[in-house]
Formats: sequence, C-alpha cells, structure tokens
Amino acid sequence: MMPVTLFLALGAILFCIGLYGVLTRRHIVVVLVCIELMLNSVNINLVAFSSVGPVANVTGQVFSLFVITIAAAEVAVGLAILIALYRNRASIDVIKHDLLRSS
Amino acid sequence: MELDLYFSNYTYVIIFVLFGVALPVVSLTFGRLLRPKNPYDDKLSTYESGIKPTGEAQIRFHVAYYIVAIEFIIFDIETVFLYPWAVSLGQLGWVGLNAMLIFILILALGLGYSWKKRVLEWN
Amino acid sequence: MSAYNANWSLMTPEIVLMILALVIFTLDFMTGMSRNKPFLGRLSILSLLATTVLVAVFNRETGQIGDMFVVDGFAMVLKIVILLGVAGVIAISMYYVDRHRDVYQGEYYSLLLFATLGAMLMVSSADLITLFVGLELLSISAYCLAGFKKYNGKSTEAAIKYVVLGGTASAFILYGMSFVYGLTGTTSLVDINEAVPTLFADYPYIMTMAIMFMIAGFGFKISVVPFHMWAPDVYEGAPTPVTSFLSVVSKIAGFGIVLRVFFVGFESVYDEWAFIFALLAAITMIVGNMIAIVQRKVKRLMAFSGVAQAGYLLVPVATMVSLDMTMSMITFYAVAYLLMTLGAFAIITLVTEDTEDDALTSFSGLYQRAPYLAIAMTIFLLSLAGLPITAGFFGKFYIFVGAIQAEMLWLAVIMIFTSIVSFFYYFGIMKQMFMRDPKPNDDQTLSVPKPVSAVVTISLVGTIGFGLLANVLTNYFNNLQWFF
Repeated sequence: MMPVTLFLALGAILFCIGLYGVLTRRHIVVVLVCIELMLNSVNINLVAFSSVGPVANVTGQVFSLFVITIAAAEVAVGLAILIALYRNRASIDVIKHDLLRSS
Repeated sequence: MELDLYFSNYTYVIIFVLFGVALPVVSLTFGRLLRPKNPYDDKLSTYESGIKPTGEAQIRFHVAYYIVAIEFIIFDIETVFLYPWAVSLGQLGWVGLNAMLIFILILALGLGYSWKKRVLEWN
Repeated sequence: MSAYNANWSLMTPEIVLMILALVIFTLDFMTGMSRNKPFLGRLSILSLLATTVLVAVFNRETGQIGDMFVVDGFAMVLKIVILLGVAGVIAISMYYVDRHRDVYQGEYYSLLLFATLGAMLMVSSADLITLFVGLELLSISAYCLAGFKKYNGKSTEAAIKYVVLGGTASAFILYGMSFVYGLTGTTSLVDINEAVPTLFADYPYIMTMAIMFMIAGFGFKISVVPFHMWAPDVYEGAPTPVTSFLSVVSKIAGFGIVLRVFFVGFESVYDEWAFIFALLAAITMIVGNMIAIVQRKVKRLMAFSGVAQAGYLLVPVATMVSLDMTMSMITFYAVAYLLMTLGAFAIITLVTEDTEDDALTSFSGLYQRAPYLAIAMTIFLLSLAGLPITAGFFGKFYIFVGAIQAEMLWLAVIMIFTSIVSFFYYFGIMKQMFMRDPKPNDDQTLSVPKPVSAVVTISLVGTIGFGLLANVLTNYFNNLQWFF
C-alpha cells in the first residue's frame, strides 16, 4: 500500500462529509462551513501528494496556499451576502428561500 | 522506513495526551471525595467577576461582528503569502520585493475603501 | 526560462486593465459616498476598449511567461471577444443603474472590470494554478454582482444560491485537479499532456475519476445539463445586465478554460474523454430546449436557451477531426453567440425595465411601441434558433458539418431535431411582439436610450454581417495558430 493512500482516504472522507452537508443542511452558515470542508480535503490531498506522493515536489504546497486564500475570499463573500439576505428576510434557513421558482 | 519513524515520533504525543487527560480527572475526583459539600444560591450562580449576572447566556451577536470577521479574514490570509515570501526573500531579490509591495498596495487600497465606507467604525 | 528574464510585455493588456480597474475603484471611494457616478461607467468602457487595442497589439505573436501564462491565437481571439462583451454589458448597465439608484455604481463597474481580468487570465493560462486563480477571480466577482441589488430579496437569494453551488463546483474542480497533480507531479498543462497516456494505462480508474470531477465542476461553470440547475434561478434573480454578463462573458470564458484544459492538457488521451462530452452535449441540447418551451418568464427562458447553446458548443469538442477545425468552429460560434445574445439582452433589459415585469407578456405589442427594436429582436432570435443569413446559422452549420465528418451522426440528428424544437419558444416571443397589442398602461412609444441602441445596432450589424460574410472570419480563424 502506498503511504499516500491513508491521506487520500482522509481527504475523500472529508470531501464526502462536506458534500453531504452542502446537500442536506438547512442553515446557510453550516453549508458554508461544509464547502470549506470540501476545499480543505483538497488541501490534504495536495499536501499529501506533495510530500509522500509518487512524484513528490513543492508545487502542491504552493497550490494549496492559493486554495486556502481563495477559500477565504469565497467565505468572506458568502458571509457578506448572507448578511444582506438576513437583512431582507430575517431568516437564514435554506428552505424558506423560495422566491425563485419555475413558473 | 522513514514513514514508520514519522509515526513512532507520535508515541510521545500519545503519552503526553494520556497524562494531560489523567491529571485533571484524577485530581478532581479526589477533590470531590475529600471536600465538604455545602451549596447555596449565590455559590451556584454564574461567576461574572463578582457582579450579579444579568441576561441570557446565549445572545445574538451584533451583525457588525461579521463585518469585522470578514475584514480580519483578508489580513489573516495575507500572512499565508507573506510567510513563504519572507523565508525565501534571499533568493527572490528585488523582483520578489517589488511583487510583494504591489500585493500589499492592492490590499491597502481595499483597506482604504473600507475605511472610507466607515466599516471600521463601531456604532 | 525563469520569471526574471521572461517577456513581461506579453502581459501588458492584463497589467494595464488591472491598473485601470484599481484607478476606477480608488476614484470611486475617494469621490465621496454618492451612489450615482455615471462618469465611472464611461471610464470603464474606455479602459476596456483601450485594453482591446493593447490585446490586438501585444498578443499578435505567440509567447509565454515561464509555463504559467501563454499568449496564442486562442487567447487573443477569446480576450477580444470577452473585452468587447463586457463593454457591451457596461453600456447596457449604464441605462440600468440610471433607473436603480440603490446600486453603488463605482463598486459595480470595478467588480465588472475585475471579473474581466479574471476571464482574461483564465483564457491565457497554461497552468492549473493560474487557471484556477483566474476562474475564481471571475466567479467571486460574479457572486457579488448577482447580489448587487442588496435590498431586493430575489437578488440576494440568487447570490447565495450562486455562492453555495459555485463553491461546491470549485471544490469539485480542485478535487479533480489534486489527483491530476498528484499523479503527474506537475501543474503545467503541457507537461500533464506528456504524462497522462502512461498514467491512463497504469491507473485508469483514478484518472477517469479525476477527469469526471473536473468535467462536473467545469460543467457547472458553463451550465450544461445535469449541472445547470443554478442557471435559471440565478439568471432570474440577478440584475438584468448581470444576467447578460453571466450568460455571455462568463460562459465564453468557461468554454475557454474547458478547451484549454482538455485540448492542451489532455489532448493525448482524447478518446478517453470525448465520449463523456458527446453524452453531455446530447442531454444538454435535449433538456435545455425542452424545458425552455414551458417557461413563462423571459429571463428563465434565456437561461434555458443559454443551456441549449452550451450544448451546441460542446458538439465540436466531442467530434474533433482536426484540432484547428474544431477550434475555428467553436470560436466562430462563440463570436456569433456573443453578438446575438448581447443584442437580445440589451432589448430584454430595456423592455423588462420599462414594463417592470419579466414575464413573456411584457413583450406584447413591441412592434407598435418600438418597431426597430422588434425587428432587431426578431433577427437575434432567428440567429439563436439558427435560421439562414445570420451568424448563428453559419455557426451551427459548421458544427453540424463537423459532426457528420466525424461520423457522429446521432449527435448531428439530435442537434437538428432540438434546433427545430427551439423555434417554438423563440416564436413565442415573436408572437408577443407582432401579434399582440400593447398593454393599456404602457407608454405607446418606447424611448430607446443611446447606449442600449448602440449595443443593439452593433450586434445587429455583426449578426447579419457575419451571416453574409461568414468566410471572412472563418478564413482568418483557419490560418490562426491556436495553441502555442
């Protein structure tokens, strides 16, 4: 067994938990946290490949720095939109937001 | 193998964690057995530095906390780039310095923007 | 070649656009808290046009900056298409923000320019990292733009849906990329292309899975079925000029990234992924056109029409005979798509704003209220449906011929059949314009503001011009060196 497999399994489990949360959770803050979880599973993959992967080099760590940055930007924008949404509707429950429907 | 060495280093961590958990558990259990027990109302109330506690424990945070959190994230993440840059500045030379100055200039513009928009004021 | 002695002049258009965008951003917050600053709109259009000229000057020859950033025929053509598209979107926006005084114009225009910068980086990147950063610069700006009417519940709801689903799509793309990086040990697309054939022999399942994850994520960005669910909701809730931005610029840039990744990074294993794209193209054309028929709101209808158009654009990806032919087909259709969709959206913005209603019936009696707009809209819709003497017809015709040459007859048949279906819903709008009387409480004549009429006229001339003289553009494209 490749040593990297353990880390990949961890990444895969985190990714699945995140995806499950995005699809089922009703609270938007939790949904944003789950997206963050998915992006962090990518970071685990990248860093694992970069240190114990079949072709280990430093590029993966650089890539993961950019992923961290962009994940933060995405969450910042998500939070800002969440505040605007809350001010309009006084609720951050996903189910209650159904203004946009097919006719 | 190198990886086995890597994992065997964690033995110390595990021992440390076990001691860390055991110490408070053991001392608190002995304390409960030995100490006299005499509860009354003032003793059971929440400790707020000697003042009588008011209001609920679970409060709703002011929305301005979120805005400050967003501001914080931006400058927190700046460090992600500053740290590896600082470590390898010797090899990067003037080009690296200029690149980082441009990066910080753009961030500073963002800070100026939020200053002008009165995001930093608390009211 | 290291970053120190690289030919940085290749990047001039991007650097200039970034400086101009920052200047506009700074001007906005230094000139007080007022929301209404029309001069910033004019300044943005000027900077986009200046950047277009710079692209034409500096990106004429191919070159690269240390494996990260490449300039070639593909990058140049798509950058010009994107820049002109955004200029059109800003012209439409100038009318829109004039009516909606709760929009902070300075922020709006600078976000549009940053999104453009992201799109330009995307189409000329040759490395997974650059490509991803460009994609996110575009996407994050687009999330903000979708929720720009922050006192409007629909707009913020569209934005939060877009953020959540867009973030998930980014995670899928990255998860796929992490495996590609892990097995090849590089993020450079050219090096990946050399490494993948042996990897497909050694680890077929992991590589197929990685490609599937990337296709799912990119499929979201270009809204192909079954990853299209966000499109109608976001298109409906976002401000109308932003909808036109999403459906024109964001989609074309998304196709740019798909073509770059798959035709540069995975070209050596074309047979492994072509069939996935063929299937996606088929169901996208079928589902997009079928659902569009039952729509009663014009922005939702355009969303499904855009989904269907993405299906047509995927056909040449799946039916490659020669790389140059495929690229020239897709790019021609992208140019036609830009012209007809932008023109149609200019008119849709005007009509839905004037009647304050986004149902199809807001178009009723447009021929009596504004005959020129009605005729122009008819031509854009005919072009979208693919009737002759329009650019859309020739674009679709080339793709159709290409599919037959590649002996993918079933795909060509689906394309023809779904095009016929699309006449129904485009005809629905035409019926409203010509055969219904105007609503009693609307003005009898619709006044057309100058920027909107300029966009409509330019798109109209382009749509008919490239329909009559299609070979001018195709000859140019056939002689272009697409990839470095």
